[in-house]
Amino acid sequence: MKQASPLARFWNEFRESKVALAALVVVVLMIGVALLAPWIAPQDPYDLANLTLSDARRPPGYVGSGGFTHLLGTDAQGRDLFSAILYGLRISLQMGLIAGSLAFTVGVTLGITAAYLGGRWEAFIMRVIDLQLAFPAILLALVISAVLGQGKFQLIAALAAAQYAYFARTAHGAAAAERGKDYVEAAFSTPLPARRVVWRHILPNCLPPLIVVATVQVASAIALEATLSFLGVGLPVTEPSLGMLIANGFQYMMSGRYWISIYPGVALIILIVAINLVGDQIRDQVNPRLRR
Amino acid sequence: MSGSAEAVPLLEVRDLATHFHTRAGVVKAVDGVSFSLRRGEVMGLVGESGSGKSITGFSIIGLIDPPGKIESGSIRLEGRELIGLPSRELRAIRGKVISMVFQDPLMTLNPVLTIGAQILLALEAHEKVSAEAGRKRAIAALAQVRIPEPEAKVDFYPHQFSGGMRQRVAIAIALLHRPKLIICDEPTTALDVSIQAEILAEMKELVAELGMALIWISHDLATVASITSRVCVMRHGKIVETGPVLDVLTRPQHPYTQSLLDSLPSRAKPGTFLARGGGVPDASPPARRSGASPSRGSKADASYFVIQDVSKLFQTPPGILRLLGQKLGLSQPSRGVQAVDSVSLTVPRGEALGLVGESGSGKSTLGRMAAGIYAPNSGTVRLEGEPVMGGGARPHKNTTRIQTIFQDPFASLNPRMSIGDSIAEGPIAHRIVSRAGAAEYVRQWLAAVGLDPTFASRYPHQFSGGQRQRVAIARALAMQPDVVVCDEPVASLDVSIQAQIINLLMRLRTELNLTLIFISHDLSVVRHLCDRVAIMYRGKIVEEGPAGQIYDNPRHEYTRRLLAAVPVLPTAPPA
Repeated sequence: MKQASPLARFWNEFRESKVALAALVVVVLMIGVALLAPWIAPQDPYDLANLTLSDARRPPGYVGSGGFTHLLGTDAQGRDLFSAILYGLRISLQMGLIAGSLAFTVGVTLGITAAYLGGRWEAFIMRVIDLQLAFPAILLALVISAVLGQGKFQLIAALAAAQYAYFARTAHGAAAAERGKDYVEAAFSTPLPARRVVWRHILPNCLPPLIVVATVQVASAIALEATLSFLGVGLPVTEPSLGMLIANGFQYMMSGRYWISIYPGVALIILIVAINLVGDQIRDQVNPRLRR
Repeated sequence: MSGSAEAVPLLEVRDLATHFHTRAGVVKAVDGVSFSLRRGEVMGLVGESGSGKSITGFSIIGLIDPPGKIESGSIRLEGRELIGLPSRELRAIRGKVISMVFQDPLMTLNPVLTIGAQILLALEAHEKVSAEAGRKRAIAALAQVRIPEPEAKVDFYPHQFSGGMRQRVAIAIALLHRPKLIICDEPTTALDVSIQAEILAEMKELVAELGMALIWISHDLATVASITSRVCVMRHGKIVETGPVLDVLTRPQHPYTQSLLDSLPSRAKPGTFLARGGGVPDASPPARRSGASPSRGSKADASYFVIQDVSKLFQTPPGILRLLGQKLGLSQPSRGVQAVDSVSLTVPRGEALGLVGESGSGKSTLGRMAAGIYAPNSGTVRLEGEPVMGGGARPHKNTTRIQTIFQDPFASLNPRMSIGDSIAEGPIAHRIVSRAGAAEYVRQWLAAVGLDPTFASRYPHQFSGGQRQRVAIARALAMQPDVVVCDEPVASLDVSIQAQIINLLMRLRTELNLTLIFISHDLSVVRHLCDRVAIMYRGKIVEEGPAGQIYDNPRHEYTRRLLAAVPVLPTAPPA
């Protein structure tokens, strides 16, 4: 009997949902254009020598002094908005992925350690995490970035600190369930060293729910970063993410120059919705109760 | 009854085919099954897992859901075709004319409704009753299935009943409308033997008393033999043999029926390989590393493996609030469950000790303490004088000389590790083999347990239950243990697979001179494999002795009850 590998089966099932497949294509496409921004973008939006003030606040379709069409118009400094969005995507994705991975690492380590140790340590770690989950992530991130100040690393720290708790909660739940299973008892009865049991046996079997949380949390890290940047406590002006582009155009919203804010906003929405759709599909696939 | 009604059988199944259209292709679960059932007849449907016996039952009662579909054939109830009947009319039949009892009453009873409320719902499905009359009927129904104090029990929730009592409630609900046919799908499989014996006896009386027909679906030939008059043996969705139960079981015509009977340890001489069981590979296990096992003492050494006064109390760890409450004297620590209560056992080298008990007797907990998986609350486990558990704040297992084989091969292998890695992991970690030699070592072990050595890179989900149990055995033995604790290693396997695994264990035991602690609820398997038997009851060992003595001349009252409860296969009458 021919058996497809687990990954191949997973992919075949994933492909069946057209919506999820389209969302995945969008995510991959956006990551692709973000990576290739310097080569795709018609203009380097942060090289001041390229900018001409006479091109400022032009509507989409305007052919500027650079000799190319500004597909999505220009902003208050005469920057090509399409190029600015590509560069902004780059920064937003970077922040989301780095902060998400950091939160993943810290949270999963804490959650699994708590589940493995049990007893008082488990109670202590998990109560601290519960306490933190009671605060809205945005409030926590705001306070932390206000304390740490502006900067890329400070923001990553703030985002990770606001989000690791979700990973810890999920990892703890999954690991506590796995810990009682026979294969873990079998590993302890060999006996294998505790560290090996935790990382080689328990962790790999906790991954499916964690991957689901990770996709959703990367999307929410991007949204959180955009919010903070919009509020002006996020990234410095030298690192303009999508959130800052939205903030920059905000003052022109009422004067009919909608494109400066709207298009970065649309890009942000498409990115977050697409990541969430992919995450939803993975969640449905790893949920044994929804399996056919 | 008129003559014409007598001519039409109660149930007539013709060429029934029920298929499942799955991702992997069409599964012909039931593939051309025909039988008929007279009024008041008790028929057994026997087969191993996947034979289609349950799906036949579900097809009759009309509970086949997509991706399953009844493809063809006919099911006639008193001459009326059931296939293709609109669901409204099927509902009028289901529960009233045909009813069903399932394996696990915990799954079929609603946990948030009292038994009385559930019986009332079942009543209202087919007739108009007042709450008061319904309650009276519910009490009568419970009394009918011998539930003591039915007036009080009617207001209980399912979790307040034991497994046997819950199954009685499920039977009471199935009997409410005096059905003409009742289908029981493995109704006693999840129950202990003594409870099973009670249910079997009661069911037999009820069927005779109410004059209904019964289809008893089971994998267990002995229970089927004790309740039914006629039996159909199923395999691969087809009935391979049918006839009066005594004829089929004593003079089987079909080779499959014969091989099923030959697989039963109760029909073989203890300690012999089971006929037709097969499963004994030609390859020998790899040689032990030299000097691994200090062989002090002789075979009769009485202090080889000693379990002394071990106790285990399971307590839920108190949460922070409870701890605080205890400190302030506001709450009491939870009492917990005393699973094992100061048990002592001595196992000489090379002996196979059977540990027998019903569920909740503490046999698995004792086995896990012997294997060094649980630390006892008090007492010690020593192998040749050396304690199995290292002390300290976090007690841990000190030795690789004791290994464990678990009940469920689906749960005891890490699903995300190839079986080769699973087998090699321990020996590499403990330097029994070098990393470079591991692949060859794994191949030798796979061959020794009768698996294709090239399977090493496969994952557990690619194997059947019996194959997985072979992998689990290879994993335990690759650690080159002296003592192996087997916790119900064949309980979740079909009889033919069970016979293979028993044969494999017997062969490896003699070849490697292993000391076995064999935990089981199945008295016939233990008798077949073990030299000595200890009977556990409520955390204590009530009787211990050579296997022959325990089985032929039990002293303790509990042992006697246990042995009497085991259903026995009919033997061939003298020709």
